[in-house]
Amino acid sequence: MGGYQTDFARNWARENKHIAAMMREAYQGSIEATKLDAGDIKAAFIGNFAGELYCMQGHLGAFFVDFDPRFVGLPTMRFEAACASGAIASLSAMAHIQAGIHDLACVIGVELMKTVDSAKGGDFLGTAAWYEKESVGIEFPFPKLFGKLGDEYDKRYGLDNKYLARIAEINYSNAKHNPNAQTRDWFMNLEHACATGKYNSVVSGRIKVTDCSQITDGAVCLYLASETYAAKYAKQRGLALKDIPRILGWGHTTAPMEFARKIADSADGEYVLPMTRKAITDAYHRAGIKDCWELDAIETHDCFTTSEYMAIDHFGLTKPGRSWEAIENGVIEINGKLPINASGGLIGCGHPVGATGVRQLLDAYKQIAGNAGNYQVPNAKRVATLNIGGSATTNVCFIVGVGIDG
Amino acid sequence: MVKTINTVAVLGASGTVGSLSGGLIAQNGLKVYFLSRTQEGSERGLQRAISQARSEFIAQNIVCGDYEHLLKEAVAEADWVVEAIAEDVGIKQQLYERVEAYKRPQTIVSSTTSSLPLSELVKGRSAEFKKNFLSTHFYNPPGRMLACEITGIEETDLAVVDFMRAFLVNRLRRAIIPVKNIPAFAGNRIGFVLFGRITSLAREFGVEMMDYLIGPYTGRLMGPLATLDLVGLDIHKAIIDSLAEHTKDAMHSWLTVPEYINTMLQRKLLGYKTKGGFYKKLESGKYVFLDPATCDYVPAIEPHVAFVEKAKHFIRMGMYREAFDVILSAQGSEAEVVKDILCAYVAYSYSLVGEVTDDRIGIEGIDDVMSYGFNWAAPSVIVDMLGGPEAAAELLVKKGLKVPDTLKAGLKSHFSIVNSGKYFVAK
Repeated sequence: MGGYQTDFARNWARENKHIAAMMREAYQGSIEATKLDAGDIKAAFIGNFAGELYCMQGHLGAFFVDFDPRFVGLPTMRFEAACASGAIASLSAMAHIQAGIHDLACVIGVELMKTVDSAKGGDFLGTAAWYEKESVGIEFPFPKLFGKLGDEYDKRYGLDNKYLARIAEINYSNAKHNPNAQTRDWFMNLEHACATGKYNSVVSGRIKVTDCSQITDGAVCLYLASETYAAKYAKQRGLALKDIPRILGWGHTTAPMEFARKIADSADGEYVLPMTRKAITDAYHRAGIKDCWELDAIETHDCFTTSEYMAIDHFGLTKPGRSWEAIENGVIEINGKLPINASGGLIGCGHPVGATGVRQLLDAYKQIAGNAGNYQVPNAKRVATLNIGGSATTNVCFIVGVGIDG
Repeated sequence: MVKTINTVAVLGASGTVGSLSGGLIAQNGLKVYFLSRTQEGSERGLQRAISQARSEFIAQNIVCGDYEHLLKEAVAEADWVVEAIAEDVGIKQQLYERVEAYKRPQTIVSSTTSSLPLSELVKGRSAEFKKNFLSTHFYNPPGRMLACEITGIEETDLAVVDFMRAFLVNRLRRAIIPVKNIPAFAGNRIGFVLFGRITSLAREFGVEMMDYLIGPYTGRLMGPLATLDLVGLDIHKAIIDSLAEHTKDAMHSWLTVPEYINTMLQRKLLGYKTKGGFYKKLESGKYVFLDPATCDYVPAIEPHVAFVEKAKHFIRMGMYREAFDVILSAQGSEAEVVKDILCAYVAYSYSLVGEVTDDRIGIEGIDDVMSYGFNWAAPSVIVDMLGGPEAAAELLVKKGLKVPDTLKAGLKSHFSIVNSGKYFVAK
């Protein structure tokens, strides 16, 4: 039913704001944007990774009831699945609606991250991996793990880093058209993304600063509704029910926590991360589509350029290991055959960890509703999202669409 | 008129405004000549531009040189000449004469000044030069501040203004504020009237208390006196003096520079650039504050006023309207001074609609410049925080301020409390 994203360029820690302030602004913005009656909201689902670490605050669902006197007594709950926390909160809201428990659910993804320096933040993020085995004593565990993902591609299929640089350049370029993107005013070009130096240092292995998503403060609030509620909403506003974007399909898988085991398990397969592939194909199946070419756009989880490189072949834009073809041929560009991350993605738009999955779903909604503004993909009718937690441990794919068959 | 802009010559590229606005242009893929009196000066500007972009690769788009060796070539090639040299009419006039000798007929020339009379700068220039001349007043630093005021002189071709406006929005992603060609344009006119008042009040309340009372929780990223340290007290005085000379309105009496600021100027206490102004950072990292009575520094008093602390708590929780309810219901001289400044900001801003900006854009131009140029919550947002136009008008009357017709009209704005949360800082 739409929603609201806070400006991801903001530094809420510098504003000395509490994490509940982010949730409140996202909620208030969402009511302004959707014109929904707050009295219709029957439950709130909060996606958040590590409020306890970044700002010593857990139990975030409880703050929701402060936003409107009518909310006292509503069921609220908080979900955690590392960087996929937002998608998991959305899935759970969807499941409650499908079970007939609620007609209108509020989903908020939120993360306040700029409270700590990058080393401390890197350590906190390390808890999304198997901390004792993969993070202890490593300054930036996740760049290292996703660097290894690139290494695995290189080993199996060959990987030229210039394609990773191009992924970064495209995401920054798209972000320039997104008024809520963190990097919208940042400089980027291909030479900068390819080079190593003072302003683009190596973080780990083949991962440089420009290959990484951002440390971001942000919150996103959106609404999921039952068909009954959506029909009532459509009638009140003179809309056709079929024109309201809906979740057509979803996939949700969990791979073993340890990255090395994931890679070992996939050694004989075509796909480097088969559980990620399975989440995508499950979503295709549930949505009744046969492949990616029935999509108009994808919002994927580019926590690093290597994860977008992986997503390209896992979505099926190319044969396994040949993601470079879609980059070289311009397929993933905003005017390409299947644009990826028109919003700028995590690299360009920003990555407030627990908010990302909700942001992706909201951007899918915006694209289909035709209100993505300057980053609108023309005539988008069906959009996929992929939100991953840890080293592609939790994988959630949504297919959102509207009215294709009239 | 030029059809496209591919090459830009920045004159005064050794300075902050020239180098950073030139850097912004280069960041967006245009070829930019960085020119100043010396090659070394231009190269210093290049380093500043690189630092702003956080990439050495913008240097690929920048050619550095001095006026003697490169002015002719650069100006002849440029589609747009940006002048950002010292704020001196005579020096600008001399340089414009040289620019006219070298530039192509259609080349656009703009000045970044907001304080000097534009028509004076082009005295002696041809009709063609004047037709293509305007002001593009970038706010500093342009990497973080999006505002750019734009205006022409009487002779400027309106198509040139429209062309530059579209270019600055679409190519440089500026928030453009079309202003009238009057001293200080919109932003500095409003901002410095308030600064004038606040510096006077600091004599009574003290520097630290003044910035505490009119602090970030009232809708600005920095305390006003801390902001003046960043601007520089010499610049502050120049703007106040210029406004006092060239403007006349109900707030004219606020355009004063208290004697203690003149003492600060004599003692070279200009702000950050001299490592001491209203604030001075000690080696320990702690701050001491200027005592306006003696112009010596005194230790921090760490103010704690109950209504301020309560309002800051609400700001911290994102409850902005509730924070202002606390301010509005508070009593005492501290609370009244906060209300005085908020009301004056609203009254003065709305009174200038139609005078500094075109009345057809309502309050939006002033909202834009105060938000994107000063990092202050827009006047229309403060009106909402005060309870809306009617409640704000009542408060203005209580404060003895004239209620502008534009406030009564309830002008619409694209700013709202929700999208202005970043201007209310819990400090």
